[in-house]
Amino acid sequence: MGQQIESALRQSMHRVLVVLVSFLPGVLVFLLAVILLTAFGLLLAAIVKRILVAARFDERLASRETTGSPASISDWAPSHSPTLLIVRVILWACILLGVAIGISAIDASYSANSQLEQFLLPYLTHVLGAILLIFFGTLMARFLARSVLIGAVNAQLQYARFLSLGIKWLVLVLTAAMALDHLQIGGSIIEMAFGILFGGIVLTLALAVGLGSRDLVSRSIEKTIDKPAPTREPEPFPAAGETPRPKLRHF
Amino acid sequence: MSTSPMTEPTNAASPQQSGAIAAASSVGAPLLICLPSATAETVETMRERIASALQGHNLFLATPGGASAHAANGVTVVDYPVASRGDAAWALTSPDYLVAAQLAIEYDAAATLVLGNEAASLSVAGLQALAEAVLTGKADLAVPRYRTGPHDALVSSALLYPLTNALFGTPAHLPLPLDAAFSARMAKRLSTVARKPSNAAQPEPLIWPVAEACISSFLVKEIDAGERTLPQPADLDLNTLLAEIVGSLFGDIEAKATFWQRARAPMPAKPNVEPARTTSEAEEFEDVRAMVDSFRNAYTNLQEIWSLVLPPQSLLGLKRISRAPAEEFAMPADLWARTVYDFVLAYHLRTINRGHLLGALTPLYLAWVASHLRQCAGDAATAAFHVEETAAAFVAEKPYIVSRWRWPDRFNP
Repeated sequence: MGQQIESALRQSMHRVLVVLVSFLPGVLVFLLAVILLTAFGLLLAAIVKRILVAARFDERLASRETTGSPASISDWAPSHSPTLLIVRVILWACILLGVAIGISAIDASYSANSQLEQFLLPYLTHVLGAILLIFFGTLMARFLARSVLIGAVNAQLQYARFLSLGIKWLVLVLTAAMALDHLQIGGSIIEMAFGILFGGIVLTLALAVGLGSRDLVSRSIEKTIDKPAPTREPEPFPAAGETPRPKLRHF
Repeated sequence: MSTSPMTEPTNAASPQQSGAIAAASSVGAPLLICLPSATAETVETMRERIASALQGHNLFLATPGGASAHAANGVTVVDYPVASRGDAAWALTSPDYLVAAQLAIEYDAAATLVLGNEAASLSVAGLQALAEAVLTGKADLAVPRYRTGPHDALVSSALLYPLTNALFGTPAHLPLPLDAAFSARMAKRLSTVARKPSNAAQPEPLIWPVAEACISSFLVKEIDAGERTLPQPADLDLNTLLAEIVGSLFGDIEAKATFWQRARAPMPAKPNVEPARTTSEAEEFEDVRAMVDSFRNAYTNLQEIWSLVLPPQSLLGLKRISRAPAEEFAMPADLWARTVYDFVLAYHLRTINRGHLLGALTPLYLAWVASHLRQCAGDAATAAFHVEETAAAFVAEKPYIVSRWRWPDRFNP
């Protein structure tokens, strides 16, 4: 009995060690590929940057672009420098190439172990997809929150910040649910939790806006009942000796 | 602003037009008057008015639908090759200048007058002064200055005039003119500028003729044109219109940065204050209180966005005025000037989305309006004084925008 346990333990340890031994070179190659390609990317980016700066690339491009054109390369570039954009694209392309080479090295070292290979590589793409989802979701949440905030403030709504926060969290919750679903984590629990949270936020916003605008809505309804015809009410004629109230003309 | 269908005028003149040009050449260089917003009802009135105002000139009147060129009262009516926008037009836009400039080149006009919507309310003296400024005054561009009340043309008073004056060194109180007169070489310049592709987000592209004239070293004159009805936008959504107009001006400033960083601006002359109240302070104060409340609401909610655009010093100034009671509410002119300059810079650097940036400017503009209304209390002379004071602050603070434009990261007080 004891010998059997010892044998089973040894065999399992051996298997784990074999897996580790076959896995470690792959990891080392992955790290090496990423580091080497990053270093190469940095070097290449520095050379390209020096060439573009010497050639006054930004100035030449700016002089060719028409004033007020709907989209120019500067709009997409960090700090409006197309040179910087090109340099960063080169750097990140090299880093991504390193990652791709590293992954293929891990893949090669795992040729014998098909189970892990089948699981790991597709999951990595899912992780990448989830990261992209979270990134764009966060951007969208911030953009929409600001749009709603400014619109609500200009509409002179007192609860502008609350409305903006509500929109932001709606989008963030939606993004988180999509990312988790993409990673296949949580299953139906996530769907249910998302439904409850999303519905809860919408209900809270509806109640808050509804209760906050109660007076506004009742006044609006009263006006509609009092004035069935949609004609514009004529301005009251000023009494004798009274100066008419001036209207603000912004333009 | 609504989009108008624009058709470019043909370079070849019609037989009737050729006859008109031949007739014109025998008399001398013609004076072209364009009425892009004229309707069939207003054309005859305007023709009589123009004939009496500009006697002795070889007049060409371009109106939409004036295809059957005919002469009467010394005025030859010719076709303006774009459909009238009627009441929708409240300011002259890029297509208006383009068509007028092309007609001016076609008819070899010595001077061109473009009269906007409700031009019938423009005085005869104003019309004469505009034409004479170009014909005999040697001006390349003449823009009118109307007699306005303290509640009129507030966007121009708060933003357009001070910015144009400080950056381009030309004191034009209406840089987005309703009417304009320009010379032949200015017509060529406007034609070139109007042909440039414009921002697709803008339904009706605008041109800033004063800035264009300045960078071409052309002579610009501001003409006292008396009273005039100021046409208002048909769909008055302040937020959208303010964003469109101010965005267009900021874009123009960005495009002409190399010019205005070198140009020197004259300090505007402050008029003498003659108190002449036209409305009761109590009524005025209701408007001010509403705007101050709106500004306080914006200060509470928009701090996060403003802090991305404004330096701590300006934020502190805004905090101070947001705490002041409505009876003492005043936006200091230097704070307003710096705030606008910071927004210009943020527009250039794209610190935040440009739509958001211009939206965040609206409550600050309304704060300036509240301050203006409270200070002038319905008095036109005090209002004019306040406007000139604001313009002077923009001139005084010009080194601030120049420094920040050149070194946005280094210079941040």
